Amino acid sequence: MNRGAPVAITGTGCLSASGESLMQNMKTVFSGKRAPGKPGAFSSSHPVIYPVFEIKYPIPHINDQHKKYLSRTAQLALAAAAEAIMDAGLDTEAMNGLRVGVCMGTTVGSTMNDEKFYRDFKNRLEPDMSAISRYLNSNPSSVISKEYSLKGPCQTIVNACSSGTDAIGIGASWIRSGICDIVIAGGADELSRISYNGFISLMITDSDPCRPFDKNRKGLNLGEGAGLVVLESEYSLKRRNKRAKAFVIGYGSASDGYHLTAPHPEGRGLKRAIADAFIESGKKASDIGFINAHGTATPENDLAEARVLREIFSGIPFLSTKGYTGHTLGAAGAIEAVYTVASLEAGQIPVSAGFSEIDPYAAISPVTENTGISLKTALSESLAFGGQNAVLILTTEGI
Amino acid sequence: MKIYINGTGIAGGFGCGSNVLLNRLHTGVACEPSSQDGYYPAFHADISSLYDFVPKKSLRRIDHFSQLALTGAYLTFNEAGQDSFDKMATGLVLCSGYGSAKTTFSFLDSIIDSGDICASPTLFSNSVHNAAAGHISMMLGIEGPCLTVSQFEISVYSGLLSAIQWLREERVGQVLFGAVDEYFDVLGYCYQRRYGRNSNISMSPLAPGIQSAVPGEGAAFFLLSRDKATNCYGAITSVNTGSVKDFDDILPEESFYILNADGHIESDKNYSKIIPEGSLVSCYTPYYGSIPTGPAFDMAIAALSLREGRIFPVPVNVIRPDNYRIPVQESTLNQGNISCVKAGVKGEFSIITLSHPG
Repeated sequence: MNRGAPVAITGTGCLSASGESLMQNMKTVFSGKRAPGKPGAFSSSHPVIYPVFEIKYPIPHINDQHKKYLSRTAQLALAAAAEAIMDAGLDTEAMNGLRVGVCMGTTVGSTMNDEKFYRDFKNRLEPDMSAISRYLNSNPSSVISKEYSLKGPCQTIVNACSSGTDAIGIGASWIRSGICDIVIAGGADELSRISYNGFISLMITDSDPCRPFDKNRKGLNLGEGAGLVVLESEYSLKRRNKRAKAFVIGYGSASDGYHLTAPHPEGRGLKRAIADAFIESGKKASDIGFINAHGTATPENDLAEARVLREIFSGIPFLSTKGYTGHTLGAAGAIEAVYTVASLEAGQIPVSAGFSEIDPYAAISPVTENTGISLKTALSESLAFGGQNAVLILTTEGI
Repeated sequence: MKIYINGTGIAGGFGCGSNVLLNRLHTGVACEPSSQDGYYPAFHADISSLYDFVPKKSLRRIDHFSQLALTGAYLTFNEAGQDSFDKMATGLVLCSGYGSAKTTFSFLDSIIDSGDICASPTLFSNSVHNAAAGHISMMLGIEGPCLTVSQFEISVYSGLLSAIQWLREERVGQVLFGAVDEYFDVLGYCYQRRYGRNSNISMSPLAPGIQSAVPGEGAAFFLLSRDKATNCYGAITSVNTGSVKDFDDILPEESFYILNADGHIESDKNYSKIIPEGSLVSCYTPYYGSIPTGPAFDMAIAALSLREGRIFPVPVNVIRPDNYRIPVQESTLNQGNISCVKAGVKGEFSIITLSHPG
């Protein structure tokens, strides 16, 4: 098996608080605008309001049946899948007879945590099973597979905040090994009152709009959304006479083995994930045009990540896009990978929103204005709960 | 490429460890479920062996789900004789149908009982799906790639696919592959609500029209490698999935089939659409119960069958359908392959085939 063989990306789809399509997302981020606000879908008794990046428009491509029987996460996944599949020039008929797999990352989307159901259960009110049925019907990979009558493997990855990055890396390996002709890969997650309270309890949320890598950062803002790519084999590309828009050329993954909720301060696992992605891609740091950092704006994450960026990628521009989307958890890595592809296509990266003052401990600055890039290869990285780290190397070389 | 099973670690309603399971398999006597929460009887796992490896006090902030996973992980490395191993060349793949649901609901308790401001950070961090993998990684020092997968009843197939990929890509030298699911009171309520109150039930899988599923919990772990160790159980030769309605014959020749029929009417009826009549078939779910990750428990039994060269008798309360050959007594394993077959309630299936290491 040729581990480093490039895997074509032929379609991309994305929705977040910054827009209901990838094009709208990129228009928003290059304008530098962002609009975090008070949660609208749920209330909280916290005395402080922690802003979130919430999708306030109707989710596109969703019908009444989807709304009735599927979770919001599954609906977000379907919407981004519809955009990515359309962008790839595919549909159900075109995928019929091909081995099409689905590999999706999520966190909230795989959790049985319907609060109304559980309150009624606790109060012995014998709640009906509709909330459980919705949970069982809403596995993001299975939902996409069923929607398009696909016949390949399904995998829903629950690696916390690196899930979307891992899903694309693993999807690419299914193409390389010949398991699939096409893989629909990415991540999706909805805003949830449960995770809102959970992150506040960990004291890693900011009561102001988040400030990745800034000296005065206090923590993250949660967000919601989905990002998906269509990965395709050489066989399928030739069969359809289709060109790639970018390639996945490297994926690396490693554990810190250090702490459940904090990254290793020296980025031990992240460095190894980067090294592994370099081995797979045959690239080195000087080949990288920019880095789409995890950049949650929590004090510990950004410090550990800055250390690695300084050591390995000194002088290479980097940004965090969480200032535009919030932290979308299981979707984050996939949304950032899709943003990375779009930035490579555009030949520029957006200003890293929320940054204004350099942190003397981090001693590194993300881009402070929209910045042109000359190289055609970029790296997107994710750090997660449980000490998990995942890295993708994406390129438009040879397009 | 063959992927070798060089160690196992298993805990469930039958007890803890492969020798305990082996003894149970020799007897052919099903386990007795018990009811601990008043909702539904269940097979509760014994994880007492964990305290042989880890001081109890160091587990006080680690939930039951992660303790189940740690039990499987420690037992596996212990059985494989790997007191030390290459941390960076070892990967971890964990799969679960429902994840740490009990802790998720405990976290909700902290909010509902005491208000949003009293949400418990410890419960929240343990409720995250990959917390168990994080605990294993930290406590056993695994620093290779780490993956947690949740695909309901196809979780074992799905996770195994990635574990095998990592080994074939030479991304790692070995993978600790584990399957975990736990019993929780909401699950008991769901069973009761759907199937009625029943405090004295015994599993009768494959009985037409009889709903007899009893929920279980446990952990089944395997140390997988491209290299065969001296104490190797067997090799994984293929993993397949698909939809029962589109089933194409992908069954290996000369196989003994272990069906994960678990007493759910909707899924048990699908096995006859996959497995040809006259096949040699057994079912061991009455030892551990109905678990989304049940195929991993069947893999452990298949591994023991290969190591011992034996076919274990079907538990006495399993219905013997006329269309299959059912092992009612222990016998010599003459088949080259053992296929662990799962038919899910939504019409999906997975087939994991093991063979002699050669």
